[in-house]
Amino acid sequence: MSRPSETISLLVRAGITHVVGIPDSTSGPLFQEVRRHPTIRLVTVTREGEAFAVASGLWLGHAAPLVVIQNTGLLESGDSIRGTAMRMGAGIPVVVTGRGYAKMARAGVGPGAPRTLELMTRPDVDSTALLTEPTLEAWGIPHELCGSGDDPAEGVRRVVEQARAERRPAVLVLTRSFT
Amino acid sequence: MLTVAQLLEPLARHRTNEIVVTTMSVVRPWGRVSDSDLDFASADSAMGHAADLALGIALARPERRVVALNGDGSMLMCLGTLATVVEMAPPNYVLVVSDNGEFEITGHQPVAAGDRIDYAGLAEAAGFRSVYRFEDPRAWAAAVPEVLSCVGPTFVHAIVEPGTEGPIGRTDDEPARYLRYSLADWSDIFRSALAESSGPLPAPNEPG
Repeated sequence: MSRPSETISLLVRAGITHVVGIPDSTSGPLFQEVRRHPTIRLVTVTREGEAFAVASGLWLGHAAPLVVIQNTGLLESGDSIRGTAMRMGAGIPVVVTGRGYAKMARAGVGPGAPRTLELMTRPDVDSTALLTEPTLEAWGIPHELCGSGDDPAEGVRRVVEQARAERRPAVLVLTRSFT
Repeated sequence: MLTVAQLLEPLARHRTNEIVVTTMSVVRPWGRVSDSDLDFASADSAMGHAADLALGIALARPERRVVALNGDGSMLMCLGTLATVVEMAPPNYVLVVSDNGEFEITGHQPVAAGDRIDYAGLAEAAGFRSVYRFEDPRAWAAAVPEVLSCVGPTFVHAIVEPGTEGPIGRTDDEPARYLRYSLADWSDIFRSALAESSGPLPAPNEPG
């Protein structure tokens, strides 16, 4: 099981120069470590669409950014991802922390469930989790889920490699903590 | 009030090795006065994200000045970028807002509160280090060398007459060379030009 420091070591090995995004309770420890890190720079933005534009600019300048945002912010980011990173062919890896997955599991539904009015308005279902993976699929963005029992550092390594190899954003949806 | 040409021509005259990012109504006019591989048109409609894209370049290339030629409508779509810029405080970053009060290329629709917003005041309150406001073309033309050399982050609010630019495409017959390529192909051209003109690039994980 990896801790943020292991993820940081992985980021250094992968040549990541900047972490760009907005922290939440899951990614907060990683942001704290990056803020203290001597070489990787932290860019905290004001909304998630901004993260993809900043990261695309960093990529244009030959830096190697990693975007870290929550899935609510991913949904906000659609036109920014499309109009910057995807149109540019920028290989930007992304970690999306997954709000609402535990709630969705408790409610007995998964991302493949038909998105009916009844389901979308149920108080025991977080519609953010319900829409995260279908949205990524609709946008044509490769992604993988990292849940309990999976190693976040290993997942980050894979999406960094995939984004660079395919010259497009690749996403790790993190439904567990970094620790 | 300036015309778009009066805004852009002095900038093109004094520009040396600066990177210039354009968007919306200044994309084609800038292509008429500049033909550099270090121009970048954020013209594939990303809802106001040219200023933050330029910020990313400025952070990656601290040795190069980066000028973002933004519109007022685009600025309003991403006002939070003012805070992000101030948080990162890049001394090599210049954000120019060409304020014509309308969404010109989508059909001259007025922007919200376009006749009341003081963009220079917003930038000053956010904490930009150098802030300018220009309505007189002669004052702007005289100030360009200072704007391009002062310690940033720098903000320029230029009051500009609406122009006649229409929707932007990327086609072979576009007069502006950077619009004759796909965004992906121009990104490669830009990155190659930046690498060639910057000398050795910092190795990954070197500070700055």
